[in-house]
Amino acid sequence: MDVSNILASHAAKYQSVTVEKETSLDVDVGYLTVVDPNPIDEDSYKSNLEEHLQSLARDGIQSLLSSLFTLPTKSSDDGPLAQLPPPKIQLPRAKPLPKPKPPTKWEQFAAAKGIQKKRKDRKEWDEERQEWVNRWGKDGKNKQTEEQWITEVPLNADVDYDPRKVAREERKARVAKNEKQRQGNLARAQGPSSSVADTNPREQRKKEITKSLSSARISTASMGRFDKKLEGEKKIRGVKRKFDANEQPVEHEKNASLALLSKMESDAKKTRAAPPSGDGVVNVRKAVRFASKGQGGIALGRESSGGSTKRKQGAKRR
Amino acid sequence: MLRTVKPKNARSKRVLDARMPKEVEDVRTAIFVKGTHTGEVLNGVMKDLMALKRPAAVSFSKKNDIHPFDSASSSTSTSSLEFWANKNDASLFLVGQSNKKRPNGLIFVRMYDGRVLDMLEVGVEEFTGMADFKTPKSTPGHKPLMHFASELFDTHPRFMQLKSMLMSFFNGEEVDEICLPGIEHVISISLAPTPPSLNTTSDTPTSLPKVHLRTYTIRLLSSGTRIPRVELTPMGPSLDMVLRRHEAADAEMLKQALRRPKLKKKEVEQGLGKKRKNMEVDEMGDLRGRVHVGTQDLSKLQTRKMKGLKDDEERPGKRSKTSS
Repeated sequence: MDVSNILASHAAKYQSVTVEKETSLDVDVGYLTVVDPNPIDEDSYKSNLEEHLQSLARDGIQSLLSSLFTLPTKSSDDGPLAQLPPPKIQLPRAKPLPKPKPPTKWEQFAAAKGIQKKRKDRKEWDEERQEWVNRWGKDGKNKQTEEQWITEVPLNADVDYDPRKVAREERKARVAKNEKQRQGNLARAQGPSSSVADTNPREQRKKEITKSLSSARISTASMGRFDKKLEGEKKIRGVKRKFDANEQPVEHEKNASLALLSKMESDAKKTRAAPPSGDGVVNVRKAVRFASKGQGGIALGRESSGGSTKRKQGAKRR
Repeated sequence: MLRTVKPKNARSKRVLDARMPKEVEDVRTAIFVKGTHTGEVLNGVMKDLMALKRPAAVSFSKKNDIHPFDSASSSTSTSSLEFWANKNDASLFLVGQSNKKRPNGLIFVRMYDGRVLDMLEVGVEEFTGMADFKTPKSTPGHKPLMHFASELFDTHPRFMQLKSMLMSFFNGEEVDEICLPGIEHVISISLAPTPPSLNTTSDTPTSLPKVHLRTYTIRLLSSGTRIPRVELTPMGPSLDMVLRRHEAADAEMLKQALRRPKLKKKEVEQGLGKKRKNMEVDEMGDLRGRVHVGTQDLSKLQTRKMKGLKDDEERPGKRSKTSS
């Protein structure tokens, strides 16, 4: 039996999917691009341009497709999806790389203490109603006290004590606090000079010009008194002095005096006003106050050392 | 300078957020601008190139007095391009301009961060439009395959720029997966034979070989193996072009533009980035390493201790006896 025919046809078929070139083709599958680094053959170029270009392209695309079809695939509704490797050729980006967001104060603290982020569910289980309710928003769990029809009033409450109003105010205060902290984080992220007038170059220039003009106007011997006035020129206005009212409530006066006294009297107050040292992630003063239950650091140290000595004595006696 | 807008509602906020820089970028949008005069040829060229680039393409239908290479008149050169780029969130331009000195000129402009990165002008010499080929066309929006043929694309700076520009134009999007039946067409860029006089210093446009841009649709025939056999059918447009003026990218800006995002831990484990020796991930996904120990010094090997094998120097008492 002569199989040479079959073999030859098979070889022809097989050859058609492989490409033999002097220098192997440079395939970048990530960008679906193939670069043929072989010099162009002058004879075939001159004899029939279109055919030459098409055969060149066919060879290149054949080798690109061979590497494409050997990639691992995922199946999808539209057909197999080839998983492309990252591209080799570097193309310039259209926009700069995104800047990482500066961490919020809480994120800094959480990172320092190793606190993992926990995602809270939007819904919360209501034991009484035996169903899932919104944590906030419409019929939110956080508004439960405000909306329930009967609420317990503490024993020593005022006559006009309104538990619904109190609960509502507490909730509003929480929201306001959160908003304030958010604004603080935004301001910190923007850096020290955050106001619009400081950053906008036009505003800056305007400010500068006004400043130098006003200083030029009072720079003559008479401080600008006998200068020729231009039409429409305005008088320079300085800072207006302000006085307190002659008669004030006693409360105001008392508060002002107390504030002054406390400022003068104690060094402790001064140190508190100074920015905390260290990395600023943990408020050490607050932590000590919390741990010692308001007794202070010395009391905390005394307590820990005293406790241990007592135990030691007990051991000796035994 | 464009006013920075603070979004007033959620929809405009979403739009502005979509324009923010991203780690993996979207496809570059191209704006097709007509100069003061474009002939019939250029109109056809731009229409067909836009058909290839669609849907990431914006067409400016009116004429614009714009000369990107004419840096003396800054009002008509790059500043309007930068303005348009910001307005349309586009980072590519194709400006068509035909005049007596430079007939049928096409200017490719690439932007980085709202500023012009580099520019490249080609003159169209021959053009056959898409409509002149009575063959099937590709679906708009499908990614083309690209083919570059000549050694000059790896060696000559002008052609390296051309290659990079055309890749950014047609294929610059990084994708992790592609639907294999969706591969429909090819853009092939080939050069005329390299003249022997050409080297990297001779920059006169006449000595540079011609550029042939052809587009084909792909037919996949079964070959008996997993890899199909490819046949190409001309689709159009086909362009023969010569290189003209160019402006290379500013080195500092290019360095900025070529920055890559930091690799994720997972990608590094897959073997990207720095070459890691002696480490591999096995089939179970475990990281395995090989440790190489230096040559052992066998002379210091501790073997079984026997009195008779001990050196004389180790027993000074005995040596003193023998020496005395």
